[in-house]
Amino acid sequence: MWHTLGVDLGSTTAKAVVVAPDGRPVSSSIVQMGAVSKKGVERAIAAALEDGGLTRGDIVRTVSTGYGRRLVELADRSFTEISCHARGAVAMMPGVRLVIDIGGQDSKAIAIGQDGLLDRFAINDRCASGTGRFFDVLSRALEVEVTDISDLAAATSHEAEVSGMCATFAETEVISLLAQDVAPADISAAVMRSVASRTVGLVAQVRKNTPVVMTGGVAQNASFVAELSRQLDLSIGHLDEPQIAGALGAALIARDDYLSTVPDDERMQTEWDRQRSGSPIESCQDCDGAAGDDRGPVPVTLMPTVTRV
Amino acid sequence: MLKTKTAPSLRDVAPKAFASLKLAADEPIAYLENWKRETGGRVIGTFPMNFPVELAHAAGLHPAIVQESQTPITEGRGLLPEFYCSYSRSVADQAATGELDVFDAFVLADHCVQLLGAIDVVRWAKPETPNHFAQFISSMDDPWSAGQVRDKIDALRTELEEVSGAKIHPDSVSRSIALYNTDRELLREIFSARRDRSVRIPASELQALIKSSMVMDIEDHIRLLRALIPSLGELETEKPPVPVHLSGHFCAPVKPELLDTIEDAGVIAVDDDLYHGWRLIATDVPEDEDPFDALAQWYLDRNKSAPCATRVQRNVDWDDYLIDGLQTTGAVGVIVLMAKFCEPLMLYYPELRKALEEREVPVLMIETEHEGVPAESIRTRVEAFVERVSQTRAMPNSNHITAQQEVDNA
Amino acid sequence: MPETIELSPTVVKPRGKDQKPDKSNRLTSTRAGGKMVSDYWENIFTAKERGKQVVWYNGSALNPIFQAAGLEWCHGEAFSARLAAMHMEGPAQQAGEEYGYVNELCSYARTHLGCAVLTQQGASEKQSGIVGFADQQELATKLPSPDFFVNAYAGCSTGQQWDAMTYRVFGKELPMFNVSLPMIWGNKPDSGYLRGKEWEKTPLFVVEQLKELIKFIEYQTKKPFDWDALSENMSYIKRASELRLEAMALCAAAPTPATYWDWVASIAPINFMPANQALVDYFQGVKDEIEQRLRDGVSAVANERYRVYFDGIMNWNKLGFLTRKFAEYDVSVVAGRYTHDSFWQEPQLIDPENPLLGMAQHYLICPINHGLKIMEELLLKRCDDFGIDGIAFHSTRTCRAMTNPQQILARIAEEKRGIKSFSFEGDVADAAFYKDETLESGLVAMLETIDQQRARM
Repeated sequence: MWHTLGVDLGSTTAKAVVVAPDGRPVSSSIVQMGAVSKKGVERAIAAALEDGGLTRGDIVRTVSTGYGRRLVELADRSFTEISCHARGAVAMMPGVRLVIDIGGQDSKAIAIGQDGLLDRFAINDRCASGTGRFFDVLSRALEVEVTDISDLAAATSHEAEVSGMCATFAETEVISLLAQDVAPADISAAVMRSVASRTVGLVAQVRKNTPVVMTGGVAQNASFVAELSRQLDLSIGHLDEPQIAGALGAALIARDDYLSTVPDDERMQTEWDRQRSGSPIESCQDCDGAAGDDRGPVPVTLMPTVTRV
Repeated sequence: MLKTKTAPSLRDVAPKAFASLKLAADEPIAYLENWKRETGGRVIGTFPMNFPVELAHAAGLHPAIVQESQTPITEGRGLLPEFYCSYSRSVADQAATGELDVFDAFVLADHCVQLLGAIDVVRWAKPETPNHFAQFISSMDDPWSAGQVRDKIDALRTELEEVSGAKIHPDSVSRSIALYNTDRELLREIFSARRDRSVRIPASELQALIKSSMVMDIEDHIRLLRALIPSLGELETEKPPVPVHLSGHFCAPVKPELLDTIEDAGVIAVDDDLYHGWRLIATDVPEDEDPFDALAQWYLDRNKSAPCATRVQRNVDWDDYLIDGLQTTGAVGVIVLMAKFCEPLMLYYPELRKALEEREVPVLMIETEHEGVPAESIRTRVEAFVERVSQTRAMPNSNHITAQQEVDNA
Repeated sequence: MPETIELSPTVVKPRGKDQKPDKSNRLTSTRAGGKMVSDYWENIFTAKERGKQVVWYNGSALNPIFQAAGLEWCHGEAFSARLAAMHMEGPAQQAGEEYGYVNELCSYARTHLGCAVLTQQGASEKQSGIVGFADQQELATKLPSPDFFVNAYAGCSTGQQWDAMTYRVFGKELPMFNVSLPMIWGNKPDSGYLRGKEWEKTPLFVVEQLKELIKFIEYQTKKPFDWDALSENMSYIKRASELRLEAMALCAAAPTPATYWDWVASIAPINFMPANQALVDYFQGVKDEIEQRLRDGVSAVANERYRVYFDGIMNWNKLGFLTRKFAEYDVSVVAGRYTHDSFWQEPQLIDPENPLLGMAQHYLICPINHGLKIMEELLLKRCDDFGIDGIAFHSTRTCRAMTNPQQILARIAEEKRGIKSFSFEGDVADAAFYKDETLESGLVAMLETIDQQRARM
């Protein structure tokens, strides 16, 4: 049986997801890397295939995404993380209208149309303010693991303030607050507020909408999600594996792409199988499936933007 | 490594003429220094975006629009803060580092708060160089607007006569007007060929044609354009993948490498309203009236033929102009290029966005800075924009038409 | 040099645990101004209920004209400043950002445009979108819709463009009048502050526009303009201004009895409060308190050791904070460009019987409407008048008009008077741009330099 593969090569992690013809994710993997690395990609792909009991021969189409998408030699095509996160998030939470992705390198707000397709997007500017890097800076200055920051911030008792305009400058501010004997918990909470307020600004550019989900590693930082939710005055939907949204989106785009090349009969059969299987990926919550209902996502075909030579 | 197919461009089909134009565009100060050496003439520096260069030309001076330098900002950092647009920061830096020494005088007509900050640095760094501000009213449709501009043309005439040491004769002004109109007309011919998609010309090359016109001796520029135009027919006529309109970016040119990055990421510009583009050449000076009146009229006409966020005019809308343009050119999206910290564009952008989104025209805003081009980030945005433009809705029971097919059928 | 008199130290107020003592001693008479301003806005908020016509305006103090015409006037910058001072700017700025305004844009403009977006939206829409918090809405959305706009912005090109956008936010359906105020470029040999041909000629162009503005207002209000009321308004303003300047001059004394921060607190009254006896009484009260302080030997900062000039627009989010911060280092901020070179600061130009020329002249001497040469003249005069030791330049992130000449002025002050300075970054109405670290380190470094300068002398 054929499968498709999505690979998301980010600045610090490589993610791979394999999906079945009905669009269901079969397996996934996340590999931490020091920096963008081809080896990391290879390991992620190998792990995902092994996990799904598959070989490379089972993969009919591969789409890469992420910061290092052009480095994925195996990929047939590549798409931006914007399209892929949108696609993946819609699959993981049908009906979602706003996706906030805070990655290590940049952060994005992605507005999804009623049809489940990418509508508008905004990316933070070249400076690292409001990105996952901010938390790295914080963990370095506080000498704690980045994964512990969420719990630390939850213990805040006093209000501190960081300006949040620049990640480099924030480090100076954090050190200065430490010198003033401000508790690390309060500093962590201040950084959360600062990054959240930058994110609110990003969301404003595409306009607020609901339901909303967060993708990317920072989505696992519960204190941050709570703070962002407070500032947006919206509840933020929880995804079990927010980090793989981009790779899942890539795999689904690969599936669409493959389906667009197969004969109509075969495509219709696959679609019929998908509907019968009740795959959660393409069927939507609160949707009766009637044609013309605009609440659910529909298969998408995207044109290639990158030509490989 | 990714690479787009290289299509023949101006540098291929008219190498000699284009090289001369490109050189002046890339090295404006060197061009002016050379011009002075060769002619013994005097150069007057003008500032964007509305100075009537014809008047300075008629005074026997060589007018050149002061350009943003490509060199990193050094001494200028201590004179204007980093939160100014790249053009004003660069002007301040050039004044401090002596790059502007080639200019024998400065004149400007535009009231822009950041530009005036830069001009104050010029005044401070070069106190002996004449520096005149003929402030053209920026509210265009008040009953006194035309009279105010006409008064300023007279004041400018007096100032320029003082700088040149000779009277400006109306016949000289008419001759200068005719020359600059000719140059604009030739440039418009080239732009029109791109607009109706009879040829494909990289945006960065068109920019070189415009930018060189701001710096070069106008008669030389006309001669080079005339040498270049017959070669246009040799350019490729292939239909572009995603035709877009480039909008915004006042005063300074977008870095050519940024334009190339954008066009390499899956779009091609078929039209623009950039200052280093169509905006500069959209309006001619009337030739059938008193030449001084005509220059005042030209200023008032400019905001109608290419509306600008720096002017205030109740009955003229940049957004309407843009949408009309899209209908003419068939551009399917708009990329707004915003020099970071450019306040007029920051103010007008939401209106542009609103109008475009109401018509479901995708719009992408890209901020530019003096310090380099974040190529990867730009590429990602443009590619996502293309993906957004190109996605189609495969509705149940509907014919499955791919985006590529749509483009092919277009 | 200012007269030096012996004053006993101001009482140092203890503060809460972990906080440094507050060495500042603000005037109490300015509290009356706070109430006056608060009442003024409360009144504005009910303008529509009272059947009044409302004008939104930006830039110059045209309010005496509006007052004479029986209008209610909303000054955009003033409202943005008020929101920021009350730490309630957030929802308006978010509404602006949602509409598309980038955060590097003038924070006055985007706060006010955010208010325009909120005001223009229907009440039902306020419940959706980013600006959904009831407490945040409270002030930002209370502005009554305008009946028309008037713009008269000197010095800053953004000022005129801003209202052109407000006009569009309201769907281009409301009338707008632009008064164009040319820059005083000051590049001729005869140019200077209040002198030279350029100075003589430019106000005449403005007077003609003010006459047209009054015709426009007559058309909007459907009633003839009350010129007598304008004369009366201007006579109150002239008197209030004289009292303000007399009181400011008393602060040449060292230690100073009042500071820049007190004058900041008095900006709203002189800039847009109704011209009436209450306004005159307010400034009489301020002057009286300062005279009393001089008699009683009470200073505005305990142990004044340094006298500093503040160049830059006010950081409205930080008024109380900065007052304490400078005082903590024994610094009296004695005067500033924003307070001393603005707001009817040349009352001798006002002829109540023939007020338009004096008004036009004042609109042109806005402290952001001068070329460098005049800026230099004004700065050096203030430094001389008030015995200034150092200058704090508030590099105002989104206000290029105020920031424009600062770095050159710093060099000039050093070269011509040996006056040290430092620069810190902040903003008029966006607290995110304020960097306490740069203020603290810059201030301390400047004071140490001044100490060394004094030791050498």
